[in-house]
Amino acid sequence: MSRRTPLHFLSLFCIFLLLAVGCGRPSGPASSPSPSVLAPEQLVIGINTSRIRTLDPADAYEIVSGNLLYNLGDRLYTYEPESGELVPQLASALPTISEDGLIYTIPLRQGVKFHDGEPFNAEAMAFSLNRFIQNTGKPSFLLSDIIFQDEATQEYGIRATGDYELTLELKQPFAAFTDLLAFSGLVAVSPKAYQEAVGANEFLPTEFVGTGPYQLDSFGNDLIRLKVFPDYWGEAPKNQGINVKLYSSSANLFNAFRTGSVDMTYQSLEPVQIEALINQAEAGDWQVTEGPGNVITYLTLNLRDEDLKKVEVRQALAAMIDRPLLEERVFRKQSAPLFSLIPTIFDVSEPVFEKTQKSVAEVKDLLKQVGYDEQNPLTLDFWFRSNVSSNGAAASTIKAVIDRDYAPVVQVNLKSIESATAYENLDKGTYPIFMLDWYGDFYDPDNYVQPFMDCEQGNPEQGCEQGASQTQGSFFFNDRVNELIDQQRQTIDPQKRKAIFKELQEILVQEVPFIPLWQNKDYVFAQTNVQGIQLQPTQQFSFAPLKKS
Amino acid sequence: MSRLKSLQYYVVLRLLLAPLQVFTIATIVFLLLRATPGDPITALLGPRVPESVRNQLKDQLGLNKPLLQQYFDYIGDLLQLNLGSSLTSQGTSVWEIIQSFFPATAELAIFSMIFALVIGVLAGMLSSARPGSGLDVGGRLFGIITYAIPLFWLGMLLQLLFHVQLGWFPVGSRFPATALPPDGPTGLYTLDSLLAGDWSSFWISVHHLVLPCVSLGIVLSGIFERIVRVNLRQTLQSDYVEAARARGIPERRVLVVHAFRNALIPVVTVFGLTFAAMLGGAVLTEVTFSWEGLGGELFKAIKGRDYPTVQGIIVFFSIIIVMASIAIDLVNAYIDPRIRY
Repeated sequence: MSRRTPLHFLSLFCIFLLLAVGCGRPSGPASSPSPSVLAPEQLVIGINTSRIRTLDPADAYEIVSGNLLYNLGDRLYTYEPESGELVPQLASALPTISEDGLIYTIPLRQGVKFHDGEPFNAEAMAFSLNRFIQNTGKPSFLLSDIIFQDEATQEYGIRATGDYELTLELKQPFAAFTDLLAFSGLVAVSPKAYQEAVGANEFLPTEFVGTGPYQLDSFGNDLIRLKVFPDYWGEAPKNQGINVKLYSSSANLFNAFRTGSVDMTYQSLEPVQIEALINQAEAGDWQVTEGPGNVITYLTLNLRDEDLKKVEVRQALAAMIDRPLLEERVFRKQSAPLFSLIPTIFDVSEPVFEKTQKSVAEVKDLLKQVGYDEQNPLTLDFWFRSNVSSNGAAASTIKAVIDRDYAPVVQVNLKSIESATAYENLDKGTYPIFMLDWYGDFYDPDNYVQPFMDCEQGNPEQGCEQGASQTQGSFFFNDRVNELIDQQRQTIDPQKRKAIFKELQEILVQEVPFIPLWQNKDYVFAQTNVQGIQLQPTQQFSFAPLKKS
Repeated sequence: MSRLKSLQYYVVLRLLLAPLQVFTIATIVFLLLRATPGDPITALLGPRVPESVRNQLKDQLGLNKPLLQQYFDYIGDLLQLNLGSSLTSQGTSVWEIIQSFFPATAELAIFSMIFALVIGVLAGMLSSARPGSGLDVGGRLFGIITYAIPLFWLGMLLQLLFHVQLGWFPVGSRFPATALPPDGPTGLYTLDSLLAGDWSSFWISVHHLVLPCVSLGIVLSGIFERIVRVNLRQTLQSDYVEAARARGIPERRVLVVHAFRNALIPVVTVFGLTFAAMLGGAVLTEVTFSWEGLGGELFKAIKGRDYPTVQGIIVFFSIIIVMASIAIDLVNAYIDPRIRY
């Protein structure tokens, strides 16, 4: 009897072990006989995120994957880390633009090799850009909306016009096009690796073969290893490789950093954890680098709503927002109040919503003009995403201020919904007020205006029926705004563009289809022996200058 | 019909019914997912992508087809053992996701269950051996507290003490980021390192397993303690145990050899089902310790409305549960010859 009991446990264990073995990964390269310790010059960067969805540049659209592509690949243009100036990378010079602003001729760098040893040339770059559009991945619209497509042949206006010359044809002039070419997904990829390995219109999510200073060593569920590409055409990285460790819990990352398990972390922690690390950094335990971020949070106001279609109501709402309180209570001073949709990282940003500040009595008077008072209160449903923790806290703070100062004239009902459901219903006009955030795809103020205020089809009475403002759930329509957006897209002169953006922001504050709330701040925390940290305004984080002393 | 014949008949019948059970679960999951608010394409692309791109992707992924056609496509693929491809990670098959994440879950489940079983059974036996004694009170308190304790809270406390304060155990990974993990056929680092004869990697893997397994094991041990205690006490009051005592058999032998085996049947049942459920992913433990397992992946797939991944993982889990329940019945029949099916 006593001999049989362990036996049945053992048999049960074996069943599941067999199951595990059966489901085990296919054998990779030869297994290492001992835990090979990597070079100490390699850095471990901790990031709080779930699994990286994909590293295929034609499909990657998240901040973390974008940053990995930024370090693994090269684009035609990039930004100088310190000055933020746009400079050629795989291009050898800035583009030559035709007089009508539609044809961009780009000379390319010679002597560049892909990670698989294949040579880089104009054909390869044309393949990469065409693939970006044709695979219809998540970010494909960024280029397909801009590049001309021949209706007869269905071919896009991306052509190799020489061994080292690329010609791009646009649908209409777009002043920020060269900045768009610095988007992390517009990297050159090896045609051999991508065409032969996966075929047309297919993705390669766990591999990357580009031309950057690092090449992908391994892509694991929670660890991504980057090794130095020895044949890189440019300056070699100052470290011997990067290990990007993914933590699904910010608490784990926080603890791992504090105990020295990771060398640095960025864009990953909760406000309370950042505050604790900043405080301890003052004691010299580690170093902290702070910079303005490009993620904005705002309220979108549904202009089809019976109450919100009155501009006075929207202006009153804008005046009720106490941004410094949000900064203090919710973000522990780790965000900056935002007074325009265009964040302050751009010199065209005008703090137009500072003008909306009014006293409580003035706001109540404004509401009284359109019929709202204690007998006929303004009741609004205020929606936010339940799966974004800071949004819940911010919404509660905004409601508390309104309850304190404006009740019973204004009554706000907080309602939350999970983001997947919210996004499905946003453009259907379901939500009167919704809190959302936005990060720019490329470093140009157009990216903070056109995707909000532009409308392809609509009229002042019905609002926007098709276009960006409908997608945002605002349904804002203004002919002058559409005209100005077109103008700034066609204007190369920075001063003229600045004047157009100024007018657009003035209209924004008069019409209030959106209320900007705050702009994030970025923090990099690194152990004291890490050097070369450069926090760029474009939010891309370069691994190459990092060094462990 | 002899006992063996009856058991064989029962097993064959259960195995024949297993596909039907899995098919029923697959159908329910398919329908539930479609009834859930939130569109997979919007969840994937977010609100900023134009309608034309969303429609194009819907066509490409077959999500514009009538529901019935989608269902028949899905069942057709399933019959060919094709779980489909992930929507959120295009180019990755669901089977690749299961292969990639299941070993971490299995390793966590196996070690946690071993810990829970050892602690829970020992505590239960000690409690029932001396009813009303300090040991019994202590055992009961242990059972109640560990059963009631929130796993994530215990996990964070253990992390704080043993990782941050004492620095004894690592968290947040299965292997150090600065070393290459063992690369073997199972994906279970402990087993792969043993197969390669690499003791150093084995101990490193165990070192990384300690905190998540102890956290999960402690919580589960409360369940086993309570079941063992209750069943062992009942068994110890039976006539055949009294008879054994009357024959002068030492109390320890009566407890361990005579009583414990009969008290084991409910333990095996609970063990099997708990273990099978854990192979489906101990989501809280995985999230608390950044342990990249299948449970966390299922949670992410549900959030992202990744229909094929959710369906595929749940079908995989249901196969495990069905097989585990057959295994439990077999083991129970093996332990207790009186059991007939």
